[in-house]
Order: sequence, then C-alpha cells, then structure tokens
Amino acid sequence: MDYTNQKQPQNYSQMEDLKTLDLEESVSETIMRDLRMIAYKLKYVLIPKEQEDNGKELRNWDLWGPLIFCLALAMTLSFKADSTTSSSKSDVFAIIFVLIWVGAFVVTLNAQLLGGKVSFFQSVCLLGYCVFPINIEAIIIAFVGSYLPFVVKLIPVIICFAWSAYSSVGFMASLVPPHKKKLAVYPVFLFYLFLSWFSLIV
Amino acid sequence: MDFGIQNQTDEQQQANKESSNQNVNEGNKKQTGFCAFLTVEFYTPYFNVTETDVIQRIQGTFLPLKPDFLNLIRGNPDLWGPIWINATLIFMITAIANLRQIDEEKENQSFVISYVPQATALLYIIAFGTPLVLAAVMKFLGVDLSFFQTICLYGYSMSTLLPITILCYFQNELFLWLIIVYGFANSSLFLIINLKEELDKLQIQKKYIIIGIVVTMQLSLYLFYKLVFFSYVTE
Repeated sequence: MDYTNQKQPQNYSQMEDLKTLDLEESVSETIMRDLRMIAYKLKYVLIPKEQEDNGKELRNWDLWGPLIFCLALAMTLSFKADSTTSSSKSDVFAIIFVLIWVGAFVVTLNAQLLGGKVSFFQSVCLLGYCVFPINIEAIIIAFVGSYLPFVVKLIPVIICFAWSAYSSVGFMASLVPPHKKKLAVYPVFLFYLFLSWFSLIV
Repeated sequence: MDFGIQNQTDEQQQANKESSNQNVNEGNKKQTGFCAFLTVEFYTPYFNVTETDVIQRIQGTFLPLKPDFLNLIRGNPDLWGPIWINATLIFMITAIANLRQIDEEKENQSFVISYVPQATALLYIIAFGTPLVLAAVMKFLGVDLSFFQTICLYGYSMSTLLPITILCYFQNELFLWLIIVYGFANSSLFLIINLKEELDKLQIQKKYIIIGIVVTMQLSLYLFYKLVFFSYVTE
C-alpha cells in the first residue's frame, strides 16, 4: 500500500482511518508481503555475500520463517514414515517438531549461559532459518532416496549439513567471549547433525 | 536516594559513592531471592570453562584410579559437560542403533527412531536426578559436597558411555556384554573413588548407603542401555 499520496492525519480520527487501510488490503497481499519478507531473510541468512551490514538485519527477528521450515521438514519426514520406520507418522512428526524447537531453545540458552549477550528470539530465529538446507536434503532424499544406495545418499546430506552449520556458526561464535567459542558452536553442530541424520534415515 | 543529605563532607560523599557502586556490582554478580534458580544469571557461574578444561575433565574420567577429578572441579564445577555429553549420547545411541539395522538386502529398510525420547528421559533423569537424590542424602548424612559438584561428577561419568556406544556397533553379543561390564566398572569406580575422600569422614554404615545408591543407579543405567537399545542383533 502506498500512503504517500494521502494527506497527513490531522487528528486522531484520521489516524484511525489510516490504520484500517491495512485491514482492508486483500489477504493475498498480506500473505505475499510476509512471504517476501521471509524470502529476503532467508537469502540474507544463507548467502553470506548478502550480509553487507554485519548482521544487523538479524535484529528484525520473526518466527514465521522457522515455523514454516519446521512444519515442512516434519511433514516431509512423516510423509514416508509408515514404510521406513517402525513408528507411526505422528510419532515422527512429533519428534521432529519437538526436536527443532526444544533444540533451538537449548542451544540459545547455552549461548546465553556462556556469557553471550543476545536476544533470545533473535538466535532462535537464526537457527530456524538455517534449517532450510536440511529441508532441501529431506525433500531430495524423500523423492530419490529409495533408488540410491546408502553411501550415495550421504553426499547431499553432508553438503546441506555443512551449509546449515556454516551459516549459523558465524553468528553464534560472535556472541560469546573468544575462549568459549567452541563450547557455543558445538551444540549448533550437534543440532544440525541430529536433524540431518533424521532426514537421512527416514 | 540522597534527599536531605546536603551537609556531607567530601570524604563522606566519596565513601557513599564507593559503597553504592559496590552494591550495584554485587547485585549484578549474584541473584538472591526465592525464585533465583529460575533465572539465567543464577546458572552463569557454572559455565565458566573453556574447551581445554572440558577435554581435560573428560580425559580424567577414563582413568578412574587417579582421584584427580574432584580436585579439578572443586573450585569450578561446570554444567556444560553434563548437559552436552548426554545430548551427544542421545544422538549417538540413535545413530549407532540405526547403523546396526542397515541391511543391504532388504528392500524397504525400517529404522527405529523411538530411541530419542526414551534415551532423553533415561539419560537426563539419571544424570540430573541421581545427583539430586545423592546430594540430598549426603547433606543429610553430613558430607560437605555441593549440589553442583555432584551434578558435575555424575555428568562427566557419563562420558564413559561415549566410546562404549560407538563400540556397540559390532554385532557380537559377548563383546557387547564385555564392554557394558567394563563401562559399569569404570564409571562406578570413578564415582566411588572420587567420593571416597569425602566419604572417609563418615561412619561405615553411612558410607555404604551412599556407595549402594551409586552402584545401583549405575547398574540400572547400563542394564537398561544394553537391554533396550542394543539388544537387537541381525542374523
């Protein structure tokens, strides 16, 4: 919506009129705006060259992106669950969902406890966005996995895991004092390793 | 805060400033109050280690006959080790159990993933629940070991399970039982020898109560490990 050709509100009732314009825009516009924002953040997080301002964009955290990727991953992995695991689809979905959110929570808490001064949700947001490569590899393996031997399946898994880990490690390592860097980075590594393993196995 | 105090000498004003600065600093260091244990700052002093410290402590658990560990951690118990050693173990249990199930000939491989919630519950209850109980019992019997030191001791004793889990990949039943027994002996010895210094100050019966609790919990952990996670062997 372009407000520039409207008059500046002179009083309270005119300001109320302006606010209702947001509600009047169509649903598809609102959704597209949110999706564009998520896509922008995703490119920012995953492609290091986009980061010209040293990570300041990350301060505008949102949890929609992480939620979408988490749901996508859990649904992809539970889609084939009946044939490849001995647990039911809902078990797989529940384990992945809980693993992602509790994992992000614990990794962020770990960074805070080690002395890092970062906003909690900013870090959860970053970890959630970096789950996107794991999503890609889960989809690849879900479609072509049954035709490939185990060893060949490892290749996309390792690439995507390295991509996720590399994107988030830079941020996490900058949060804590230098002598505790590895202590903050190892849990991130373990978190993505866990998720990659699940996308490989299921 | 300085209402009505207008006639202080320079020295008094200086002393007031210094003491109020000190109060602010001490307030930042320690959280007091009933619900302090719910804040993040309460636990921050227990994460005051570097990676070399952690590696040194883990190495200390593999040589149980040298009771250096308690001296290592006495001034600086940490919580990073217990939490993340157990998290690593949960991942390794799932990974190794799945690797054991790989069978190139079967068309639709079926992997078990239900070990994740089971392992989480088992490991964290034993790694944090047992020290809770043990510390309470020890305080009751008069041993001077702080709660966090007990958690640290127990958490690091779990690191014996790290190589054992990797070795459980092999399919030989006898070998598995051998390494499980070795692990049980190693971690129990580690715990008892490190507690020995404190326990010697007690009477014989009280000592055996504590040793009994420790050994029973380790036994149940290792038996559970073997029977639930790694009993499945392909022919």
